[in-house]
Amino acid sequence: MVDVELAEVADFLAEHAPFDALPERVRRTLPARMAVRYHRRGTSLMAVGVDNHDLMVVRSGAIEIRDADGGLVNRGAEGTTAGSTTLVGGNPSRFDVVAIEDTLALHLPGAVFHELSSEYPDFADHFDAERADRLRSAASATMTNAAGEAILRTSAGDLVRRPPVTVPPHVTIADAAVVMTDEGISSLLVVEGREVIGILTDRDLRRRVVAAGVDPAGPVSSVMTADPVVAPAEASALELLMTMTERAVHHLPVVDGGQPVGVVTTTDLMRLERVNVVHIVGDITKQREVAGVVALARRTPRLVEQLVGQDVGAADITRVVTTVGDAVERRLIALAEERLAARGHGSPPRYCWMVLGSRARHEQALGSDQDHAVIIADDAPEGAEEYIAALADEVVAGLEAAGYPRCSGDVMASNPRWRQRLTGWRREYRRWITAPVPDAVLQASIFFDSRPLLGDESLHARLAEDITQLAPGGSNFLAHLGKEAVSNEPPLGFFRGFVLAKAGEHKDTLDLKRGGVGSIVDVARVHALRTGLVSVNTRSRLLAAGRTGSLSPSLAASLVDALDFITHVRLVHQAAQAASGSRPDSRVRPSDLSAFEQRSLREAFHVIRSAQQALVHSDPSVRYS
Amino acid sequence: MRLGLGRSPQRRREAALAAAPPGPLRDYLSAPFVGPGTRLDELPLLALDVETTGLDVERDRVLAVGWVPVDGRSIDLSGAGRRVLGVRMEVGQSATVHGLTDDAIARGDVPVTVLAEILRVLRGRVLLAHHAAIEIGFLDAACRRVWGAPFVTPAVDTLALQRRVLAGRLEAHPELHPGELRLWAARERYGLPRYRAHEPLTDALACAELYLAQTSELSRRARKPLSLKTIQHT
Repeated sequence: MVDVELAEVADFLAEHAPFDALPERVRRTLPARMAVRYHRRGTSLMAVGVDNHDLMVVRSGAIEIRDADGGLVNRGAEGTTAGSTTLVGGNPSRFDVVAIEDTLALHLPGAVFHELSSEYPDFADHFDAERADRLRSAASATMTNAAGEAILRTSAGDLVRRPPVTVPPHVTIADAAVVMTDEGISSLLVVEGREVIGILTDRDLRRRVVAAGVDPAGPVSSVMTADPVVAPAEASALELLMTMTERAVHHLPVVDGGQPVGVVTTTDLMRLERVNVVHIVGDITKQREVAGVVALARRTPRLVEQLVGQDVGAADITRVVTTVGDAVERRLIALAEERLAARGHGSPPRYCWMVLGSRARHEQALGSDQDHAVIIADDAPEGAEEYIAALADEVVAGLEAAGYPRCSGDVMASNPRWRQRLTGWRREYRRWITAPVPDAVLQASIFFDSRPLLGDESLHARLAEDITQLAPGGSNFLAHLGKEAVSNEPPLGFFRGFVLAKAGEHKDTLDLKRGGVGSIVDVARVHALRTGLVSVNTRSRLLAAGRTGSLSPSLAASLVDALDFITHVRLVHQAAQAASGSRPDSRVRPSDLSAFEQRSLREAFHVIRSAQQALVHSDPSVRYS
Repeated sequence: MRLGLGRSPQRRREAALAAAPPGPLRDYLSAPFVGPGTRLDELPLLALDVETTGLDVERDRVLAVGWVPVDGRSIDLSGAGRRVLGVRMEVGQSATVHGLTDDAIARGDVPVTVLAEILRVLRGRVLLAHHAAIEIGFLDAACRRVWGAPFVTPAVDTLALQRRVLAGRLEAHPELHPGELRLWAARERYGLPRYRAHEPLTDALACAELYLAQTSELSRRARKPLSLKTIQHT
């Protein structure tokens, strides 16, 4: 009996478009007309400028398709096809197809492809649509590079278009105006030696000179803005925008190592304005009512969805979510201050509003709780606590309306314990570090990821200084934190599977936070505090730990990759939840993930486990509980 | 098993050829074997899998066989084949493994015809199997019964290759569990698709795919093109 039916291959084709649309009798004959090839990760299945004669179908593994400029066109696992463009439109290939993991591919000869296309219109239509899509996304990928990623990746240094034009302070106003006219510029830097001591703008000439009747023969130093706000060259375009809108300035001198390298104007930023992030942040800052702020904050999930769709990196997306969150919280605080003033509470005392946890680390995802606290200056008048209490209540309610749930652990400025004078905070931190009680340290770990958001930053700086000095010597404290960092085991099962929740509403789901992102954050924090590192950002902490040798450099780099990948999966999941109207969480069903994602996740969890083991080995007092 | 270990397949082929009567086995043996220096990129193989009534090559019989050619780095599905053999023997409990019923066997092909066909498709190729001793042992016993001469073939064993792949990573896997070498476990390591086991053509395809993955990994480690000599099963 003759029987060469390749059932496994035929069944696979039956599950994937456009083969599923073919009559079964035709489909069953296809396997025998195909070849199977194995493509190692990183090798090319097809290259720009090279002829291709097959339609390739990914049987297992994953491929990435990029256009000639390197823009990502498509990425896919089982069932993804490649090669139809050359079969229909002619050789050579205009795309690079690379295996991004070890890939088994079915190769269908061009002749069979043409035979099927002419006999079965549905089959041909599928590839027509796919090619149209591909070209569209190739085009939009280019647009993303010009606009979307620009705002995230562009630094102040990149935006500077020419070296700064400078004058010494004794130059006359008239001469300064001539220089500006000759150079065709709207601002001029006034320097002494190499240091920027002032800036003169068109507007200054109009208001402070002409309108005020000042003699143009006087020195430029008499009408310039002294000690202007400057931006470091590495600041992102987004941060520049925040600074400009908050300080109401239109020109920012950019300095590198203390020396001016140029000026960035609002116009420079407007060239990047197509990005929604810019609109949202800019609009939030202009809102006069809480309702307006809330409405804008509610756009965050949609924004994340867009960024995920544009293939923007996870670290950049969490930075955007953080920036939007910062803008919302700052605006709500400012509006609350206005309302308190209107109700007769007077002007605010000297205080610093600090954010804690993921927001402080610039790693906020969707659905995060609000975590904040207030440092009141020691010299603030009596009654400052009551003022902050009233302020905090307003802000907490506003944030909740904006989609940031109240903190379940009550770590909010509305809790009397978390609005203290500086001396009280210093005492609190000293106790956590030098006389740690295990449970207290666990609850307090969030306070070691803090960042000043608004108010007098020197209050926060004083606390940060204490932490960096005390923490490296707090061996018990570090041991408690270390133990906590290794306590949540990554959800890896025996046979390379995942450990899933067994029952309840989270049945069959995988927690990407506990044992995932959370564990990486915990490990990074221990390494940072051990060495008295100031940064609270997890990526910076890990890379610094790799440099100082606290963590092996390769493990540090792998942890950064693991953080990026898990965060990416988490954001994709959250964006989908938000789009379907449910509350974003960190629990995914492995069955919803591609084989590629599952394997990469397992790899990431293995890296976390290695980091936890390394932590135990590096400090004998850290033990698994 | 009488495999004439210690001599090269070429030498054993010549010895067997002298003993074989005219017919399919003699035709097969008269073609020279693929040279050991042949690069893997050009190596012709035939992945083969047999389903049997048991593991005793003298008493048990082959019930079904599946094969698929591998040309260098490409599996040629158009050359795939599958045959059920009409052996005059009760299948018994082994049906629970291979799923072949006595009725299916009764409609099967004449065993000698299938044996001749296997020798024809294997000619000029290297036999490829997972735990190749089983396939070689059954083919040898059948050839000896029918033609009174031994079956000889150059062979590549994916089970032995898997041991080598894993041994190369000893730091990471201090203990090698026997289960890790099984065809389906080995495939899972490479993320290859899950198939239903014990259907001879599927098993042959599974073995061929595993071979491509394994040799791809070994070539990467060797950083140079490998030849049959380096992966041959002896």
